Amino acid sequence: MNWRAELEELRLRERLAHEMGGADKIKRQHDGSRLTVRERIDGLVDPGSFHETGAIAGNATYDQHNELESFTASNCVFGRARIDGRPVVVVGDDFTVRGGSADAAIHEKSLMAERMAAEFRLPIIRIIEGSGGGGSVKTIETKGRANLPGGVGQSMLFHYTTANMAVVPVVALGLGSVAGLGAARLAASHYSVMTKSSAMFVAGPPVVARVGQNLSKQELGGWEIQTRSGAVDHAVDTEEEAFACARRFLSYLPSSVQELPPKLDSDDDPERRDESLMDAIPKDRRKVYKVRPIIEALVDRGSFFEMGAMFGRSIVTGLARLDGRAVAVMASDPYFYGGSWTAAACQKIVRFVDLAETFHLPVVYLMDCPGFLIGLEAERAATIRHGVRAMAAINQTSVPWCTIIIRNCFGVAGAVHQPAGRLALRYAWPSGYWGSLPLEGGIEAAYRAEIEGAADPAAKLGEIEQRLNKLRSPFRTAEAFWVEEIIDPRESRPLICEFARLSDKLVAPGPSAFPMRP
Amino acid sequence: MTDTFVLSELNAVVLTIQVATGDRVQNGDTLIVLESMKMEIPVAAPRDGAVAAILVREKQMVEEGQKLAILGD
Repeated sequence: MNWRAELEELRLRERLAHEMGGADKIKRQHDGSRLTVRERIDGLVDPGSFHETGAIAGNATYDQHNELESFTASNCVFGRARIDGRPVVVVGDDFTVRGGSADAAIHEKSLMAERMAAEFRLPIIRIIEGSGGGGSVKTIETKGRANLPGGVGQSMLFHYTTANMAVVPVVALGLGSVAGLGAARLAASHYSVMTKSSAMFVAGPPVVARVGQNLSKQELGGWEIQTRSGAVDHAVDTEEEAFACARRFLSYLPSSVQELPPKLDSDDDPERRDESLMDAIPKDRRKVYKVRPIIEALVDRGSFFEMGAMFGRSIVTGLARLDGRAVAVMASDPYFYGGSWTAAACQKIVRFVDLAETFHLPVVYLMDCPGFLIGLEAERAATIRHGVRAMAAINQTSVPWCTIIIRNCFGVAGAVHQPAGRLALRYAWPSGYWGSLPLEGGIEAAYRAEIEGAADPAAKLGEIEQRLNKLRSPFRTAEAFWVEEIIDPRESRPLICEFARLSDKLVAPGPSAFPMRP
Repeated sequence: MTDTFVLSELNAVVLTIQVATGDRVQNGDTLIVLESMKMEIPVAAPRDGAVAAILVREKQMVEEGQKLAILGD
Protein backbone atom coordinates (compact mmCIF):
# COMPACT_ATOMS: atom_id res chain seq x y z
CA MET A 1 0.00 0.00 0.00
CA ASN A 2 1.26 3.45 -0.78
CA TRP A 3 0.01 6.93 -1.66
CA ARG A 4 0.66 6.76 -5.37
CA ALA A 5 -3.00 7.26 -6.33
CA GLU A 6 -3.33 10.30 -4.12
CA LEU A 7 -0.12 11.78 -5.49
CA GLU A 8 -1.43 11.17 -9.01
CA GLU A 9 -4.57 13.10 -8.14
CA LEU A 10 -2.42 15.89 -6.71
CA ARG A 11 -0.39 16.03 -9.96
CA LEU A 12 -3.61 15.98 -12.01
CA ARG A 13 -5.01 18.90 -10.04
CA GLU A 14 -1.73 20.80 -10.44
CA ARG A 15 -1.81 20.14 -14.18
CA LEU A 16 -5.35 21.46 -14.37
CA ALA A 17 -4.26 24.56 -12.46
CA HIS A 18 -1.47 25.11 -14.98
CA GLU A 19 -4.07 25.17 -17.76
CA MET A 20 -5.23 28.49 -16.26
CA GLY A 21 -8.30 29.88 -18.05
CA GLY A 22 -7.94 27.46 -20.97
CA ALA A 23 -6.30 27.48 -24.40
CA ASP A 24 -8.63 30.14 -25.88
CA LYS A 25 -8.00 32.62 -23.09
CA ILE A 26 -4.26 31.96 -23.19
CA LYS A 27 -4.27 32.57 -26.94
CA ARG A 28 -6.10 35.87 -26.40
CA GLN A 29 -3.46 36.85 -23.87
CA HIS A 30 -0.64 35.99 -26.30
CA ASP A 31 -2.39 37.68 -29.24
CA GLY A 32 -2.32 40.87 -27.19
CA SER A 33 1.49 40.45 -26.76
CA ARG A 34 0.94 39.64 -23.11
CA LEU A 35 2.39 36.70 -21.24
CA THR A 36 0.35 34.51 -18.91
CA VAL A 37 0.91 34.91 -15.19
CA ARG A 38 2.99 31.72 -15.08
CA GLU A 39 5.18 32.84 -17.98
CA ARG A 40 5.60 36.17 -16.22
CA ILE A 41 6.74 34.56 -13.00
CA ASP A 42 9.18 32.34 -14.94
CA GLY A 43 10.53 35.41 -16.76
CA LEU A 44 10.95 37.38 -13.56
CA VAL A 45 12.63 34.99 -11.15
CA ASP A 46 15.75 32.82 -11.22
CA PRO A 47 15.12 29.79 -13.50
CA GLY A 48 13.33 26.97 -11.71
CA SER A 49 13.22 28.82 -8.39
CA PHE A 50 9.44 29.33 -8.13
CA HIS A 51 7.78 27.34 -5.35
CA GLU A 52 4.05 27.88 -5.50
CA THR A 53 1.68 28.07 -2.55
CA GLY A 54 -1.93 27.03 -3.01
CA ALA A 55 -1.61 25.94 -6.65
CA ILE A 56 -4.66 23.69 -6.51
CA ALA A 57 -6.98 26.23 -4.89
CA GLY A 58 -9.83 27.13 -7.19
CA ASN A 59 -13.31 26.14 -8.26
CA ALA A 60 -14.07 22.49 -9.02
CA THR A 61 -17.13 20.68 -10.25
CA TYR A 62 -17.87 17.03 -9.44
CA ASP A 63 -19.98 14.40 -11.19
CA GLN A 64 -22.77 12.36 -9.57
CA HIS A 65 -20.17 9.99 -8.11
CA ASN A 66 -18.34 12.91 -6.62
CA GLU A 67 -15.42 12.45 -9.02
CA LEU A 68 -13.60 15.58 -10.13
CA GLU A 69 -15.16 16.76 -13.37
CA SER A 70 -13.56 20.11 -14.04
CA PHE A 71 -11.31 22.56 -12.27
CA THR A 72 -10.53 26.24 -12.71
CA ALA A 73 -7.68 27.64 -10.68
CA SER A 74 -7.99 30.76 -8.63
CA ASN A 75 -6.72 33.73 -10.57
CA CYS A 76 -4.22 34.64 -7.89
CA VAL A 77 -0.91 32.79 -8.26
CA PHE A 78 1.73 33.20 -5.57
CA GLY A 79 4.72 31.65 -3.94
CA ARG A 80 8.37 32.07 -3.11
CA ALA A 81 11.18 32.32 -5.62
CA ARG A 82 14.68 33.74 -5.91
CA ILE A 83 15.97 36.81 -7.71
CA ASP A 84 19.75 36.95 -8.09
CA GLY A 85 19.81 34.13 -5.58
CA ARG A 86 17.90 36.08 -2.93
CA PRO A 87 14.48 34.84 -1.79
CA VAL A 88 11.38 36.88 -2.66
CA VAL A 89 7.62 36.51 -2.68
CA VAL A 90 5.89 36.89 -6.02
CA VAL A 91 2.13 37.26 -6.47
CA GLY A 92 0.39 37.60 -9.81
CA ASP A 93 -3.08 37.98 -11.27
CA ASP A 94 -4.17 35.44 -13.85
CA PHE A 95 -6.09 37.49 -16.39
CA THR A 96 -7.14 34.36 -18.28
CA VAL A 97 -9.48 33.54 -15.37
CA ARG A 98 -12.33 36.02 -15.08
CA GLY A 99 -10.13 38.93 -16.07
CA GLY A 100 -8.26 38.83 -12.78
CA SER A 101 -11.30 39.98 -10.81
CA ALA A 102 -12.49 39.03 -7.33
CA ASP A 103 -15.17 36.55 -8.29
CA ALA A 104 -12.45 34.08 -9.30
CA ALA A 105 -9.88 35.09 -6.72
CA ILE A 106 -9.56 33.49 -3.37
CA HIS A 107 -9.15 36.48 -1.13
CA GLU A 108 -6.86 34.71 1.31
CA LYS A 109 -4.27 33.94 -1.38
CA SER A 110 -3.16 37.49 -2.10
CA LEU A 111 -3.47 38.21 1.61
CA MET A 112 -1.16 35.31 2.47
CA ALA A 113 1.37 36.47 -0.15
CA GLU A 114 1.55 39.89 1.51
CA ARG A 115 1.67 38.34 4.97
CA MET A 116 4.43 35.95 3.90
CA ALA A 117 6.49 38.90 2.64
CA ALA A 118 5.96 40.79 5.89
CA GLU A 119 6.54 37.95 8.32
CA PHE A 120 9.38 36.20 6.48
CA ARG A 121 10.97 39.58 5.64
CA LEU A 122 11.05 39.04 1.90
CA PRO A 123 10.64 41.57 -0.92
CA ILE A 124 7.31 41.21 -2.72
CA ILE A 125 6.74 41.65 -6.42
CA ARG A 126 3.11 42.17 -7.41
CA ILE A 127 2.34 41.30 -11.03
CA ILE A 128 -0.92 43.09 -11.67
CA GLU A 129 -3.43 42.77 -14.47
CA GLY A 130 -7.14 43.51 -14.29
CA SER A 131 -8.69 44.67 -11.07
CA GLY A 132 -6.02 42.92 -9.02
CA GLY A 133 -8.51 40.73 -7.18
CA GLY A 134 -10.89 43.62 -6.73
CA GLY A 135 -14.58 43.27 -7.38
CA SER A 136 -16.62 43.26 -10.56
CA VAL A 137 -20.30 44.14 -10.66
CA LYS A 138 -21.01 40.49 -11.41
CA THR A 139 -20.01 39.65 -7.84
CA ILE A 140 -23.34 41.07 -6.70
CA GLU A 141 -25.16 38.33 -8.61
CA THR A 142 -22.80 35.50 -7.79
CA LYS A 143 -22.78 36.33 -4.08
CA GLY A 144 -26.34 37.62 -3.94
CA ARG A 145 -25.39 40.75 -2.04
CA ALA A 146 -23.33 43.89 -2.41
CA ASN A 147 -19.81 43.96 -1.05
CA LEU A 148 -18.92 46.53 1.59
CA PRO A 149 -15.41 47.70 0.63
CA GLY A 150 -13.17 47.20 3.63
CA GLY A 151 -16.03 45.50 5.45
CA VAL A 152 -15.84 42.73 8.05
CA GLY A 153 -13.01 40.31 7.31
CA GLN A 154 -11.56 42.42 4.52
CA SER A 155 -9.29 44.87 6.19
CA MET A 156 -6.08 42.85 6.31
CA LEU A 157 -5.31 42.99 2.59
CA PHE A 158 -5.71 46.76 2.68
CA HIS A 159 -3.49 46.80 5.74
CA TYR A 160 -0.64 44.98 4.02
CA THR A 161 -1.10 46.87 0.74
CA THR A 162 0.40 49.93 2.38
CA ALA A 163 1.95 48.60 5.61
CA ASN A 164 4.39 46.36 3.75
CA MET A 165 6.05 49.49 2.38
CA ALA A 166 7.55 50.09 5.83
CA VAL A 167 8.81 46.50 6.10
CA VAL A 168 10.01 45.06 2.78
CA PRO A 169 10.72 46.28 -0.77
CA VAL A 170 7.47 46.34 -2.74
CA VAL A 171 7.73 46.28 -6.53
CA ALA A 172 4.61 46.42 -8.69
CA LEU A 173 4.34 45.63 -12.39
CA GLY A 174 1.24 46.75 -14.32
CA LEU A 175 0.95 44.48 -17.34
CA GLY A 176 -2.29 44.97 -19.24
CA SER A 177 -5.31 46.94 -18.12
CA VAL A 178 -5.15 47.70 -14.42
CA ALA A 179 -8.07 49.21 -12.51
CA GLY A 180 -9.57 49.64 -9.08
CA LEU A 181 -7.85 47.60 -6.37
CA GLY A 182 -5.26 46.59 -8.99
CA ALA A 183 -4.42 50.26 -9.53
CA ALA A 184 -4.15 50.75 -5.78
CA ARG A 185 -1.79 47.79 -5.40
CA LEU A 186 0.29 49.13 -8.29
CA ALA A 187 0.57 52.62 -6.87
CA ALA A 188 1.22 51.45 -3.29
CA SER A 189 4.76 50.39 -4.07
CA HIS A 190 8.34 51.60 -3.83
CA TYR A 191 8.83 51.14 -7.54
CA SER A 192 6.26 50.54 -10.26
CA VAL A 193 6.67 49.72 -13.91
CA MET A 194 4.10 49.41 -16.70
CA THR A 195 4.45 48.37 -20.31
CA LYS A 196 3.66 51.03 -22.90
CA SER A 197 0.73 48.99 -24.19
CA SER A 198 -0.77 48.82 -20.70
CA ALA A 199 -3.14 51.24 -19.06
CA MET A 200 -3.89 52.01 -15.43
CA PHE A 201 -6.87 53.88 -14.02
CA VAL A 202 -9.14 54.05 -11.03
CA ALA A 203 -12.03 53.19 -13.35
CA GLY A 204 -11.86 52.24 -17.01
CA PRO A 205 -13.41 53.83 -20.13
CA PRO A 206 -16.96 52.40 -19.79
CA VAL A 207 -17.28 53.78 -16.26
CA VAL A 208 -15.65 57.08 -17.18
CA ALA A 209 -18.03 57.41 -20.15
CA ARG A 210 -20.85 57.62 -17.62
CA VAL A 211 -19.33 60.83 -16.24
CA GLY A 212 -19.15 62.23 -19.75
CA GLN A 213 -15.59 61.48 -20.84
CA ASN A 214 -15.26 59.31 -23.92
CA LEU A 215 -11.65 58.18 -23.88
CA SER A 216 -9.71 55.12 -24.97
CA LYS A 217 -7.78 53.13 -22.39
CA GLN A 218 -4.55 54.77 -23.56
CA GLU A 219 -6.03 58.27 -23.51
CA LEU A 220 -7.33 57.71 -20.01
CA GLY A 221 -4.48 55.86 -18.33
CA GLY A 222 -1.71 55.12 -20.82
CA TRP A 223 1.93 55.28 -19.85
CA GLU A 224 2.41 58.93 -20.77
CA ILE A 225 -0.45 59.94 -18.49
CA GLN A 226 0.61 57.75 -15.59
CA THR A 227 4.38 58.33 -15.66
CA ARG A 228 3.90 62.10 -15.98
CA SER A 229 1.37 62.12 -13.16
CA GLY A 230 3.79 60.22 -10.93
CA ALA A 231 1.31 57.39 -10.32
CA VAL A 232 3.68 54.93 -12.05
CA ASP A 233 7.46 55.26 -11.98
CA HIS A 234 8.56 53.83 -15.28
CA ALA A 235 7.28 52.55 -18.64
CA VAL A 236 8.95 49.98 -20.88
CA ASP A 237 8.24 48.41 -24.27
CA THR A 238 8.20 44.76 -23.26
CA GLU A 239 7.29 42.66 -20.25
CA GLU A 240 10.85 41.24 -20.23
CA GLU A 241 12.16 44.79 -19.70
CA ALA A 242 9.73 45.24 -16.82
CA PHE A 243 11.13 42.06 -15.19
CA ALA A 244 14.69 43.35 -15.69
CA CYS A 245 13.74 46.67 -14.04
CA ALA A 246 12.26 44.86 -11.03
CA ARG A 247 15.37 42.70 -10.64
CA ARG A 248 17.68 45.68 -10.94
CA PHE A 249 15.72 47.81 -8.45
CA LEU A 250 15.87 45.01 -5.88
CA SER A 251 19.63 44.59 -6.36
CA TYR A 252 20.23 47.88 -4.49
CA LEU A 253 17.97 47.10 -1.55
CA PRO A 254 18.09 44.89 1.51
CA SER A 255 15.48 42.10 1.65
CA SER A 256 13.73 43.95 4.46
CA VAL A 257 14.23 46.90 6.79
CA GLN A 258 15.85 44.42 9.19
CA GLU A 259 18.90 44.13 6.93
CA LEU A 260 21.35 46.52 5.28
CA PRO A 261 21.67 46.95 1.51
CA PRO A 262 24.01 44.38 -0.09
CA LYS A 263 27.54 45.63 -0.78
CA LEU A 264 29.19 44.54 -4.02
CA ASP A 265 32.79 44.55 -5.18
CA SER A 266 33.35 47.48 -7.51
CA ASP A 267 35.88 47.48 -10.31
CA ASP A 268 35.59 51.24 -10.73
CA ASP A 269 38.42 53.12 -8.98
CA PRO A 270 36.96 55.18 -6.12
CA GLU A 271 39.79 57.69 -6.70
CA ARG A 272 38.86 58.15 -10.37
CA ARG A 273 38.80 61.83 -11.38
CA ASP A 274 36.65 62.55 -14.38
CA GLU A 275 38.03 65.40 -16.50
CA SER A 276 34.59 66.13 -18.01
CA LEU A 277 33.57 67.61 -14.66
CA MET A 278 35.93 70.56 -15.23
CA ASP A 279 33.62 72.14 -17.78
CA ALA A 280 30.34 70.46 -16.87
CA ILE A 281 28.76 73.69 -15.60
CA PRO A 282 28.53 76.57 -18.10
CA LYS A 283 29.99 79.88 -16.95
CA ASP A 284 26.94 81.68 -18.35
CA ARG A 285 24.40 81.27 -15.57
CA ARG A 286 21.48 81.41 -17.99
CA LYS A 287 22.73 78.30 -19.78
CA VAL A 288 21.59 74.84 -18.81
CA TYR A 289 23.58 71.60 -18.80
CA LYS A 290 22.74 67.91 -18.73
CA VAL A 291 22.95 66.54 -15.22
CA ARG A 292 22.74 62.82 -15.99
CA PRO A 293 26.26 62.65 -17.50
CA ILE A 294 27.51 64.34 -14.31
CA ILE A 295 25.84 61.65 -12.18
CA GLU A 296 27.29 58.94 -14.43
CA ALA A 297 30.77 60.46 -14.10
CA LEU A 298 30.56 60.40 -10.30
CA VAL A 299 29.01 57.04 -9.41
CA ASP A 300 30.43 53.56 -10.03
CA ARG A 301 30.44 53.13 -13.79
CA GLY A 302 27.07 51.96 -15.13
CA SER A 303 25.48 51.81 -11.70
CA PHE A 304 22.96 54.67 -11.95
CA PHE A 305 19.36 53.42 -11.98
CA GLU A 306 16.93 56.29 -12.45
CA MET A 307 13.41 56.14 -11.02
CA GLY A 308 10.44 58.35 -11.88
CA ALA A 309 12.16 60.16 -14.76
CA MET A 310 8.92 61.59 -16.18
CA PHE A 311 7.53 63.11 -12.99
CA GLY A 312 8.65 66.14 -10.97
CA ARG A 313 11.37 66.47 -13.55
CA SER A 314 13.35 69.32 -12.03
CA ILE A 315 14.70 66.66 -9.66
CA VAL A 316 16.36 63.48 -10.92
CA THR A 317 16.19 60.55 -8.47
CA GLY A 318 17.74 57.13 -8.62
CA LEU A 319 19.81 54.45 -6.97
CA ALA A 320 23.51 54.02 -7.64
CA ARG A 321 26.68 52.57 -6.18
CA LEU A 322 29.73 54.29 -4.73
CA ASP A 323 32.72 52.03 -4.15
CA GLY A 324 30.23 49.15 -4.30
CA ARG A 325 27.82 50.61 -1.75
CA ALA A 326 24.20 51.33 -2.66
CA VAL A 327 23.22 54.99 -2.30
CA ALA A 328 20.22 57.17 -3.14
CA VAL A 329 21.10 59.97 -5.56
CA MET A 330 19.10 63.18 -6.03
CA ALA A 331 20.18 65.79 -8.55
CA SER A 332 18.66 68.99 -9.92
CA ASP A 333 17.86 69.12 -13.63
CA PRO A 334 18.12 72.71 -14.91
CA TYR A 335 16.23 71.79 -18.11
CA PHE A 336 13.06 71.88 -16.00
CA TYR A 337 12.35 75.28 -14.48
CA GLY A 338 16.06 75.81 -13.97
CA GLY A 339 16.04 73.05 -11.35
CA SER A 340 13.58 74.86 -9.12
CA TRP A 341 11.34 72.83 -6.86
CA THR A 342 7.83 72.44 -8.23
CA ALA A 343 4.98 70.95 -6.20
CA ALA A 344 5.49 67.70 -8.14
CA ALA A 345 9.24 67.71 -7.53
CA CYS A 346 8.58 68.13 -3.81
CA GLN A 347 6.25 65.11 -3.81
CA LYS A 348 8.92 63.14 -5.62
CA ILE A 349 11.54 64.16 -3.05
CA VAL A 350 9.33 63.11 -0.12
CA ARG A 351 8.77 59.64 -1.56
CA PHE A 352 12.42 59.25 -2.52
CA VAL A 353 14.00 60.26 0.78
CA ASP A 354 11.43 58.09 2.57
CA LEU A 355 12.66 55.16 0.44
CA ALA A 356 16.27 55.98 1.38
CA GLU A 357 15.38 56.23 5.07
CA THR A 358 13.33 53.03 5.05
CA PHE A 359 16.09 50.91 3.48
CA HIS A 360 19.13 52.57 5.07
CA LEU A 361 20.54 54.13 1.91
CA PRO A 362 22.93 57.09 2.34
CA VAL A 363 21.82 60.09 0.26
CA VAL A 364 23.97 62.05 -2.18
CA TYR A 365 22.39 65.28 -3.45
CA LEU A 366 23.88 67.16 -6.40
CA MET A 367 22.24 70.49 -5.93
CA ASP A 368 21.45 73.33 -8.34
CA CYS A 369 18.27 74.85 -6.98
CA PRO A 370 17.30 78.46 -7.67
CA GLY A 371 14.45 78.08 -5.17
CA PHE A 372 10.84 77.05 -5.41
CA LEU A 373 9.06 77.58 -8.71
CA ILE A 374 7.48 81.03 -8.59
CA GLY A 375 4.41 82.54 -10.24
CA LEU A 376 0.64 82.13 -10.14
CA GLU A 377 0.55 78.49 -11.23
CA ALA A 378 3.08 77.59 -8.55
CA GLU A 379 0.96 79.33 -5.90
CA ARG A 380 -2.15 77.52 -7.14
CA ALA A 381 -0.29 74.20 -6.83
CA ALA A 382 0.48 74.87 -3.13
CA THR A 383 4.18 74.66 -3.92
CA ILE A 384 5.14 76.06 -0.55
CA ARG A 385 3.19 73.44 1.42
CA HIS A 386 4.57 70.61 -0.68
CA GLY A 387 7.92 72.32 -0.20
CA VAL A 388 7.82 72.34 3.58
CA ARG A 389 6.63 68.75 3.46
CA ALA A 390 9.78 67.89 1.51
CA MET A 391 11.74 69.90 4.08
CA ALA A 392 10.16 67.87 6.88
CA ALA A 393 10.88 64.59 5.09
CA ILE A 394 14.56 65.52 4.67
CA ASN A 395 14.84 66.80 8.23
CA GLN A 396 13.30 63.57 9.56
CA THR A 397 15.87 61.35 7.87
CA SER A 398 18.59 59.75 9.92
CA VAL A 399 20.57 58.19 7.05
CA PRO A 400 23.96 59.76 6.25
CA TRP A 401 23.70 62.68 3.87
CA CYS A 402 26.17 64.39 1.53
CA THR A 403 25.43 67.40 -0.63
CA ILE A 404 27.48 68.90 -3.41
CA ILE A 405 26.33 72.38 -4.41
CA ILE A 406 27.12 72.43 -8.09
CA ARG A 407 25.52 75.77 -8.90
CA ASN A 408 22.51 77.60 -7.47
CA CYS A 409 21.36 77.57 -3.89
CA PHE A 410 18.63 80.13 -3.22
CA GLY A 411 15.80 80.67 -0.81
CA VAL A 412 13.99 78.20 1.40
CA ALA A 413 14.19 75.39 -1.16
CA GLY A 414 17.92 76.07 -1.29
CA ALA A 415 18.16 75.81 2.48
CA VAL A 416 16.70 72.30 2.32
CA HIS A 417 19.86 70.89 0.79
CA GLN A 418 20.69 68.82 3.84
CA PRO A 419 18.83 67.68 6.95
CA ALA A 420 18.62 70.51 9.46
CA GLY A 421 19.90 69.93 12.97
CA ARG A 422 22.56 67.30 12.30
CA LEU A 423 25.89 67.21 10.53
CA ALA A 424 25.93 66.24 6.88
CA LEU A 425 28.91 66.48 4.56
CA ARG A 426 28.76 69.43 2.18
CA TYR A 427 30.96 70.50 -0.69
CA ALA A 428 30.56 73.30 -3.21
CA TRP A 429 32.00 73.53 -6.69
CA PRO A 430 33.57 76.85 -7.72
CA SER A 431 30.44 77.34 -9.85
CA GLY A 432 28.46 77.66 -6.60
CA TYR A 433 26.17 80.70 -6.62
CA TRP A 434 23.89 81.46 -3.71
CA GLY A 435 21.90 83.94 -1.73
CA SER A 436 18.73 84.41 0.25
CA LEU A 437 17.06 85.49 -2.93
CA PRO A 438 18.22 86.17 -6.50
CA LEU A 439 19.52 89.63 -7.38
CA GLU A 440 17.08 89.92 -10.25
CA GLY A 441 13.93 91.38 -8.72
CA GLY A 442 15.53 91.21 -5.30
CA ILE A 443 17.42 94.48 -5.84
CA GLU A 444 14.28 96.34 -6.91
CA ALA A 445 12.62 95.24 -3.67
CA ALA A 446 15.51 95.94 -1.29
CA TYR A 447 16.84 99.17 -2.81
CA ARG A 448 13.56 100.74 -3.95
CA ALA A 449 14.11 104.17 -2.40
CA GLU A 450 17.67 104.45 -3.72
CA ILE A 451 16.62 103.45 -7.25
CA GLU A 452 13.50 105.63 -7.37
CA GLY A 453 15.46 108.61 -6.01
CA ALA A 454 18.16 108.35 -8.69
CA ALA A 455 18.23 110.60 -11.74
CA ASP A 456 18.60 107.52 -13.95
CA PRO A 457 16.89 104.60 -12.13
CA ALA A 458 17.99 102.01 -14.73
CA ALA A 459 21.64 103.03 -14.42
CA LYS A 460 21.33 102.98 -10.64
CA LEU A 461 19.90 99.45 -10.75
CA GLY A 462 22.82 98.32 -12.94
CA GLU A 463 25.31 99.97 -10.61
CA ILE A 464 23.87 98.26 -7.52
CA GLU A 465 23.76 94.93 -9.32
CA GLN A 466 27.45 95.25 -10.27
CA ARG A 467 28.34 96.22 -6.72
CA LEU A 468 26.54 93.23 -5.22
CA ASN A 469 27.82 90.76 -7.79
CA LYS A 470 31.38 91.60 -6.77
CA LEU A 471 30.56 90.29 -3.31
CA ARG A 472 29.12 87.10 -4.74
CA SER A 473 32.31 85.04 -4.98
CA PRO A 474 31.88 81.73 -3.16
CA PHE A 475 35.35 82.25 -1.70
CA ARG A 476 34.06 85.17 0.36
CA THR A 477 31.44 82.84 1.81
CA ALA A 478 34.09 80.20 2.52
CA GLU A 479 36.32 82.86 4.12
CA ALA A 480 33.56 83.41 6.71
CA PHE A 481 33.14 79.59 7.02
CA TRP A 482 29.50 79.88 5.94
CA VAL A 483 30.34 77.06 3.57
CA GLU A 484 32.94 74.57 4.75
CA GLU A 485 34.60 73.42 1.54
CA ILE A 486 34.94 74.45 -2.06
CA ILE A 487 36.38 71.64 -4.13
CA ASP A 488 37.76 70.86 -7.56
CA PRO A 489 34.78 69.11 -9.23
CA ARG A 490 37.16 66.27 -10.17
CA GLU A 491 37.65 65.55 -6.46
CA SER A 492 33.94 64.82 -6.10
CA ARG A 493 34.00 61.08 -6.75
CA PRO A 494 36.82 60.32 -4.31
CA LEU A 495 35.01 62.39 -1.68
CA ILE A 496 31.55 60.85 -2.14
CA CYS A 497 33.11 57.37 -2.20
CA GLU A 498 34.76 58.24 1.12
CA PHE A 499 31.32 59.39 2.32
CA ALA A 500 29.81 56.03 1.29
CA ARG A 501 32.55 54.16 3.19
CA LEU A 502 32.07 56.35 6.29
CA SER A 503 28.37 55.60 6.09
CA ASP A 504 29.04 51.88 6.64
CA LYS A 505 29.36 52.59 10.35
CA LEU A 506 26.34 54.87 10.54
CA VAL A 507 23.51 52.86 9.08
CA ALA A 508 21.76 50.31 11.24
CA PRO A 509 18.99 47.86 10.40
CA GLY A 510 15.50 48.29 11.82
CA PRO A 511 12.24 50.02 11.03
CA SER A 512 12.42 53.77 10.46
CA ALA A 513 10.80 56.14 12.94
CA PHE A 514 8.15 57.10 10.36
CA PRO A 515 6.58 54.23 8.41
CA MET A 516 6.74 55.08 4.73
CA ARG A 517 3.54 56.00 2.90
CA PRO A 518 2.99 55.42 -0.83
CA MET B 1 7.73 58.76 -41.69
CA THR B 2 4.81 60.62 -40.18
CA ASP B 3 5.11 64.14 -38.86
CA THR B 4 6.44 64.53 -35.34
CA PHE B 5 5.14 67.17 -33.00
CA VAL B 6 7.78 68.88 -30.90
CA LEU B 7 6.22 69.61 -27.50
CA SER B 8 7.15 71.95 -24.69
CA GLU B 9 8.16 70.01 -21.60
CA LEU B 10 7.32 72.92 -19.30
CA ASN B 11 5.49 76.22 -18.91
CA ALA B 12 7.81 78.86 -20.34
CA VAL B 13 8.22 81.85 -22.67
CA VAL B 14 9.55 81.44 -26.22
CA LEU B 15 12.87 83.31 -26.19
CA THR B 16 14.22 82.63 -29.69
CA ILE B 17 13.32 80.51 -32.67
CA GLN B 18 16.50 79.11 -34.20
CA VAL B 19 15.12 77.48 -37.35
CA ALA B 20 12.71 78.32 -40.15
CA THR B 21 10.16 76.23 -42.02
CA GLY B 22 11.94 74.04 -44.54
CA ASP B 23 15.25 73.88 -42.66
CA ARG B 24 16.81 70.45 -42.44
CA VAL B 25 17.78 69.52 -38.91
CA GLN B 26 19.51 66.64 -37.19
CA ASN B 27 18.52 64.82 -34.04
CA GLY B 28 19.63 67.00 -31.11
CA ASP B 29 19.80 70.31 -33.00
CA THR B 30 18.28 73.22 -31.10
CA LEU B 31 15.01 74.33 -32.71
CA ILE B 32 13.70 76.79 -30.17
CA VAL B 33 15.02 78.30 -26.95
CA LEU B 34 12.53 78.70 -24.11
CA GLU B 35 12.97 80.82 -21.03
CA SER B 36 11.89 79.72 -17.57
CA MET B 37 13.11 80.89 -14.17
CA LYS B 38 15.57 83.16 -16.04
CA MET B 39 17.21 80.13 -17.66
CA GLU B 40 17.55 79.46 -21.37
CA ILE B 41 16.21 76.02 -22.13
CA PRO B 42 16.93 74.62 -25.59
CA VAL B 43 14.30 72.46 -27.27
CA ALA B 44 16.05 69.87 -29.40
CA ALA B 45 14.92 68.06 -32.53
CA PRO B 46 13.79 64.58 -31.47
CA ARG B 47 14.99 63.15 -34.81
CA ASP B 48 16.52 64.05 -38.19
CA GLY B 49 14.08 65.74 -40.55
CA ALA B 50 12.84 68.98 -42.00
CA VAL B 51 10.97 71.69 -40.13
CA ALA B 52 7.41 71.48 -41.48
CA ALA B 53 5.99 74.25 -39.32
CA ILE B 54 6.76 76.49 -36.37
CA LEU B 55 3.63 76.88 -34.26
CA VAL B 56 4.74 79.60 -31.82
CA ARG B 57 6.11 83.16 -31.87
CA GLU B 58 8.93 84.71 -29.86
CA LYS B 59 7.81 86.12 -26.46
CA GLN B 60 4.76 83.84 -26.52
CA MET B 61 3.90 81.97 -23.33
CA VAL B 62 3.67 78.22 -23.80
CA GLU B 63 2.38 75.49 -21.53
CA GLU B 64 3.67 72.05 -20.72
CA GLY B 65 2.61 69.70 -23.49
CA GLN B 66 1.96 72.51 -26.01
CA LYS B 67 2.98 71.87 -29.62
CA LEU B 68 5.91 74.11 -30.61
CA ALA B 69 6.82 72.83 -34.06
CA ILE B 70 6.19 70.06 -36.54
CA LEU B 71 9.04 67.97 -37.90
CA GLY B 72 8.54 66.25 -41.26
CA ASP B 73 10.82 64.38 -43.63
